[in-house]
Amino acid sequence: MSDTLKLLERQATWQKCRVALTWAEKVRMAEAVRDSVAQLRRAPPLADSGVSARGHHPTKLPRQGSQT
Amino acid sequence: MKEVAELLNAMRAAGVISEYALFGAIAQMRYTEPVATLDADVLVAMPSPQGLDVLRPIYEFCAARGFRPEGEAVRIGEWPVQFIPVFSPLTEEALYKAETADFEGVPLRVVGADYLVVIALGVGRAKDLARILELLESASVGRDQVARLAARHGLTEAWRRFEARFFNE
Repeated sequence: MSDTLKLLERQATWQKCRVALTWAEKVRMAEAVRDSVAQLRRAPPLADSGVSARGHHPTKLPRQGSQT
Repeated sequence: MKEVAELLNAMRAAGVISEYALFGAIAQMRYTEPVATLDADVLVAMPSPQGLDVLRPIYEFCAARGFRPEGEAVRIGEWPVQFIPVFSPLTEEALYKAETADFEGVPLRVVGADYLVVIALGVGRAKDLARILELLESASVGRDQVARLAARHGLTEAWRRFEARFFNE
């Protein structure tokens, strides 16, 4: 449990570091991930491939329209 | 984004727009952690906002410099930029009270944290509510400040609901 708390503390510290980045650096980070985010949003739902999002019980759900 | 800043300043100097200010996720990032976003949103005031095709002068200005439309945006360097004419007294006030920030040596007008919160409150999607929480957590704006601005723009009830939902008040 103490390891988990230490991990959470480290993560919180890292998150605070990111807030302290300059605006230009944050925008560059957003640029770097933008194309990946766009690809993820275009990707079909996991259910289309027969794999459950929860991973334990694969199900085939009706195909749904793409989301924007 | 530096290219966007330079283009916006040139657009204003040429009289194509009378004023501009970044808002949305890119503006939010001045105060919070970086967030994922697909495009840059820019509020604009037009010198003559009449007509069906209000944004046409902007698109022509961009096209003359080699920047082409991409969906509902114009691709400027790395960013698809969406130009959004001011659409309410709140957004008009946000535009004219925007701050001038420095982006890698180029002045760039950006909507302030208080207006970002109240605009998000007015829109009210899940991602807007998340934006409000992040901005409040960043301490770039206080709840009293938001309450006053929301009241001036008829959003007191929306703010009351937000506080009840997220602060159990």
